[in-house]
Amino acid sequence: MSGKEKKTVKTVIDGKEYAFPQGTTILEAAKSVGIEIPHFCYHPGLSIAGACRMCLVEIEKMPKLQISCHMTVDDGMVIHTNNERVKKARKAMLEFHLVNHPLDCPVCDQGGECNLQIYYMMHGNYISRLRENKVKKTKKAFQIGPHVMLDQERCVLCSRCVRFCQEISKSNELGIFQRGDREEIDVFPDMQLNSPYSANVVDICPVGALLDKDFRFKTRAWYLESADSICPRCSRGCNIEIHYNLNRPWKNEGRRLARLKPRCNLEVNDWWVCDEGRYSFKFIDDDNRIEGPLVRTDGKARNTGFKEALELAAESLRNSAASTDVEIAVLVSPRAANEELYLLKHVFSEQLPGTRLVFSSATPFEPTEDDILRKKDKNSNTRGAELMGLTPDSAQVWSLSELKDAVLAGEIGALYICYHDITGLPEEFSAGWAEALERIPLVVYQGTNTCPTSEKAQIIFPAAAFAEREGTVTNFEGRVQIQQKVFEPLSEALPGWQIIQSLGVALGGSYEYESAEEVFADLAKNEPAFAGLSYEKIGSGGFVAKDAKA
Amino acid sequence: MGNITVKKIDTSRPMTFLERIYIWEILRGLWITNRHFVVNMFFHILNLFGIKTKRKGAVTIQYPEEHRGWHRRLRTRHYLARREDDSPRCVGCMMCETVCPANCIYIVAHDHPDPNVEKQADKFTIDMGKCVYCGFCVEVCPEDAIRMDSGHLEICSYTREDMIYHIDRLLEQHHDPSDYKNHEEWMEEYP
Amino acid sequence: MLGELILKTIIIVVVVNTVLAFGGFLTWVERKQSAVMQDRIGANRASILGLRLWGLFHILSDGIKMFAKEEFIPRTDHRKLFLVAPFIAWFFALMGFAVIPFSNTLHVAGYELSLQIANPQIGILFAFAMMGMTIYGLVLGGWASNNNYALLGAMRGAAQMISYEIALAAAVVGPLIVYHTLNMQEIVLWQAKLWGGWLPLWGIVVQPLAFFLFITAGAAGTKRVPFDLPEGESEIIGFNLEYSSMRFGAFMFTDFVEKILVSCLAVTVFLGGWQVPFLTENGFVFRGETLLALSPLVIWLIQPAAFFLKVCVVIYVLMLVRWTLPRFRYDQLMHLGWKIMLPLAFANIVITGFVLLVLKA
Repeated sequence: MSGKEKKTVKTVIDGKEYAFPQGTTILEAAKSVGIEIPHFCYHPGLSIAGACRMCLVEIEKMPKLQISCHMTVDDGMVIHTNNERVKKARKAMLEFHLVNHPLDCPVCDQGGECNLQIYYMMHGNYISRLRENKVKKTKKAFQIGPHVMLDQERCVLCSRCVRFCQEISKSNELGIFQRGDREEIDVFPDMQLNSPYSANVVDICPVGALLDKDFRFKTRAWYLESADSICPRCSRGCNIEIHYNLNRPWKNEGRRLARLKPRCNLEVNDWWVCDEGRYSFKFIDDDNRIEGPLVRTDGKARNTGFKEALELAAESLRNSAASTDVEIAVLVSPRAANEELYLLKHVFSEQLPGTRLVFSSATPFEPTEDDILRKKDKNSNTRGAELMGLTPDSAQVWSLSELKDAVLAGEIGALYICYHDITGLPEEFSAGWAEALERIPLVVYQGTNTCPTSEKAQIIFPAAAFAEREGTVTNFEGRVQIQQKVFEPLSEALPGWQIIQSLGVALGGSYEYESAEEVFADLAKNEPAFAGLSYEKIGSGGFVAKDAKA
Repeated sequence: MGNITVKKIDTSRPMTFLERIYIWEILRGLWITNRHFVVNMFFHILNLFGIKTKRKGAVTIQYPEEHRGWHRRLRTRHYLARREDDSPRCVGCMMCETVCPANCIYIVAHDHPDPNVEKQADKFTIDMGKCVYCGFCVEVCPEDAIRMDSGHLEICSYTREDMIYHIDRLLEQHHDPSDYKNHEEWMEEYP
Repeated sequence: MLGELILKTIIIVVVVNTVLAFGGFLTWVERKQSAVMQDRIGANRASILGLRLWGLFHILSDGIKMFAKEEFIPRTDHRKLFLVAPFIAWFFALMGFAVIPFSNTLHVAGYELSLQIANPQIGILFAFAMMGMTIYGLVLGGWASNNNYALLGAMRGAAQMISYEIALAAAVVGPLIVYHTLNMQEIVLWQAKLWGGWLPLWGIVVQPLAFFLFITAGAAGTKRVPFDLPEGESEIIGFNLEYSSMRFGAFMFTDFVEKILVSCLAVTVFLGGWQVPFLTENGFVFRGETLLALSPLVIWLIQPAAFFLKVCVVIYVLMLVRWTLPRFRYDQLMHLGWKIMLPLAFANIVITGFVLLVLKA
């Protein structure tokens, strides 16, 4: 919205007078006062097409019905969104849309979240008058890209996907071909819908024409429950919805998390999310999740339960600390939540003074970046660590290569690794670590999934994944956002902050936080960058931390 | 069609003397049960001596040997119907699973090899131990694939696992319409 | 002396076995009679080699089932009491039969041959004492079960049975005044009289109210429907809640044995015992004319048969009541016992005494 001077205009919608900023479309204005006008082609993030003619409204003193997605409100306008004339027009438009639309809602994966279905039940509800055969389109259940399936029959030609590829991803793969009722959406010849944002067309498609290949047939939309979260895949911190299914474990091969969908946040990600982030949840229900605390003796890992593993870890760490020749190092992860980082910093400095903190933001992922959403830094909370002084900028914190030198020099007696799979990092970071890890007498690993690094650890703590615990992450611009706890951690796993707190207690400290929110309250009190923040204040949209611009 | 008549008893009136002393009413009750005993016994004995009477001593139907036949509207065990080309009619839409109030249907669907057919049921399992025979699944099926007229009523097993019917068992053809009676036949036989 | 011992042993064995067999038979009768009353067929599935015999083998299969079932014994401080309680009830119910005269005395070769185990002068008191003792089995069972519901059931049972034993005893006082004896055999012999030469002067004729009170209180004393509050198997749960297997069977069986005992007492006191109308030592005699002359042995055999028939009739009536009336509420039960039956029984005693006095005068 271009608002040099926000002039307000007075408009009557359905018999009530409202004031709107000038330039607001009728559709948006009506939506803001709770009147839903049906539409297919209009999307707030895309240009106006006026293709579907579903959003027709009657404006007094105008001879014909007007499309509300394009028409802006003005002073003295009297608009009817739901009178007989509008309803009749809508019904007629729906009939047009449905002429060639197949009757396969039961098997269509969009069923239950399909705008055409919803609008038909609300505004159509007629008995079909069609006597001719439906026009068969050429492509049905056709894969047009790595993530997207196309079914041309179901398409209502709203052109949202075409506009998305032109305006947002700017990759221009999709177009509308043919004329009349043979008109169809398709990829251009010799092209694939393979832009890094391709799966967004599935979200914006109002019908079942474009479907997610990964999600297709796994379950039904209405079996899913939804929770808000933050994408953990890069430092953008895109707002997402987690769709999960706990009640029907036989679906989706027992995986709880079914799919991620972008959640609109105009400050961060608008309506979109990249494909990398969208499919980044697979590790949560992976077979290689660490299910219980393991203690490895003579190469054999056995589940000892948390109590024994924590006591063993505390005793070993204390023994290392007692020795004057060697140091204890903690490898902090920028994928951990703020609460966890805060506790790491405090527990180790208070219980084992002199512990060396090590920080690395290296990830095994390709450092892709563009000016749409993706950021080079593939960690969700690098900025949070930075604000807490856990990055190698400060002299006390080592980088990964400094740590390796110390290890090779035999100065490290114990290493506590959070989440990092050191050996799985790109060559420049992981070189030599396979041998280096062998030289450390005690490696404690805290993470979600089994990896080559955890295989080298003597004590392994199972941590909850981002959807299994509550926590906050700070994105690249310093915006603190909440990741909700969506479902319970897998078997014995615990949220990271709880593991570190328990370790602190085993080391002799007294930490009595009962929730991540309590940890955050302390964090906000003690870390100047986070001063004044609380879960309430962060809300669903996030809040930019003070000093973050620095 | 049999009409049901209900005798109306006015309970608000005060009891008569005979009713109040109770004993007379007891004797009346004993007389009724005794009459039933004597009359029924009479017919039993006649039957014992091979004398056929229209009236029987008991209304009992000796179930496993004889049964009443099935009303056309009776819901019996489910089965999955097939098309003319012998492929399962089920398209794995999960409508039945959704509507099932007992949550006893478990479906896992996957792509059909033919792109013109959207999907098919990979696993289709009904836990008969949980089923409440409401028939909602039949009602809701868009393909008329799940039906409850198999004529199988005696669903019993020694283990819970045996009560769980997987797709192969559900796809066996069971329907035998000859066992069914329409409403008029039924009312004639069992008024 | 030895001969008498052997004779008594034989009689005891015969009586006990007959009663037990008849009790078992009653389980079948109960199911069948209720079924026929309700237009059903009743249990008829148990068969041996395809032979069903209207379900008679159910007696056998029920017995086998009772023995084969898992015996569950609750954790209780009174394990021994728990184990023994059903058999206490059972034992005392059987003991009652010791004084029932099933036939007249036959004098053969110096021996007194009578189908009566013992013939004490206080015979009827002994029978009542034994009937009263069966309550112990019930109360002990309920107490030892270590279960509140069982205990409540036992308490209900104790209260009910005490209430009705009083009415039962009071009801019998009237006839006893008339008979002027407590000896069972003499009671029966008294009833050989004919009134006006044609009406047998049985207890039911001279004491109709007492007979009715006796049958009612007897049904209550055997805790059968409509007086089944101690057990209340369909919903309120009773004293035998924790019992399973054959111990439960013993409780159930005691019910039938008690029912036979009450019927035997009713027959002895009110229905002429083994008396057959007009049957004298010489055969059937009506107004001095001998209709049919019979040998003493045949007469001696007819008498127990008559007794058995009368018992069957009484049991039929008791079962008819059991399958017709619904259960009383507890307050109704107490009301009936204390406020109606007991006063009626006392009134009966007073009237009987008065009438006897008038007749004597």
